[in-house]
Amino acid sequence: MSTDNQTSFSDIPEAVASVSATDRSVSINLDAEVYPLQAVYGAAYIFLDRCFVFIDRPAEGSYRVTLSAKQAVEESEALRALVGEFANELLSCAWRHQITQDNRVAIETVTVQAIAGAMGEPSLDDLADFDFTDEALDDPLGIAQSWEEKHGRKSPGEDKAEGDAATSEEASA
Amino acid sequence: MTELRFHRELYSGEAIDEAVKTWSNFAEFSLSETPEHWVVEVTPKHEAAARQIIGEFGNYVLGLTVDRGGAEAS
Repeated sequence: MSTDNQTSFSDIPEAVASVSATDRSVSINLDAEVYPLQAVYGAAYIFLDRCFVFIDRPAEGSYRVTLSAKQAVEESEALRALVGEFANELLSCAWRHQITQDNRVAIETVTVQAIAGAMGEPSLDDLADFDFTDEALDDPLGIAQSWEEKHGRKSPGEDKAEGDAATSEEASA
Repeated sequence: MTELRFHRELYSGEAIDEAVKTWSNFAEFSLSETPEHWVVEVTPKHEAAARQIIGEFGNYVLGLTVDRGGAEAS
């Protein structure tokens, strides 16, 4: 795209947008740290029916979006409106992208639960085929035992039985 | 003839190939590449509609790229 005869809009930062007056198009320079690529894609996609859209990367860390009006543009005001509408759409897409990123785990969790729920409850045949002899939990280190089971005070019957066993061992020795 | 340079980080190469096939009735294409760009030389078959053909071709490539989830997804 030609960069000759460029002007700028008084109410839009010059570093953000520049206008080519010769070929009814406008170029918008974007900071890649502010606007993720997915947001640029989203905003550009929305303008495909109104403009010819080209995206370029003039330097590392920046994007340049060129909007070229499909219909003849009589006034620069129409180009300014294009820039404004694109900037608004871009901001909207960037924010929606951020919300999606923030809620990704929740979205995936709900989706998995919905799919699992759609599979329905197990049938009686599934229950009949279920193998109950399998150990539900293999616990060689006794981690699943409660504190009382492992270290708690023993019942009087257990104490007496252990005492008798110790006495018989001493007698046999 | 018009040369379009599609940045590799922004445009899908497969999208360009598909777009070239689709638009081959309206223009002649020559493909090449550089380390940073897919380079497409477009020669429209109808000179009166050259701007529209080139612009719509660019839109088509961008649309396919977005549909594929971006350049890196393909």
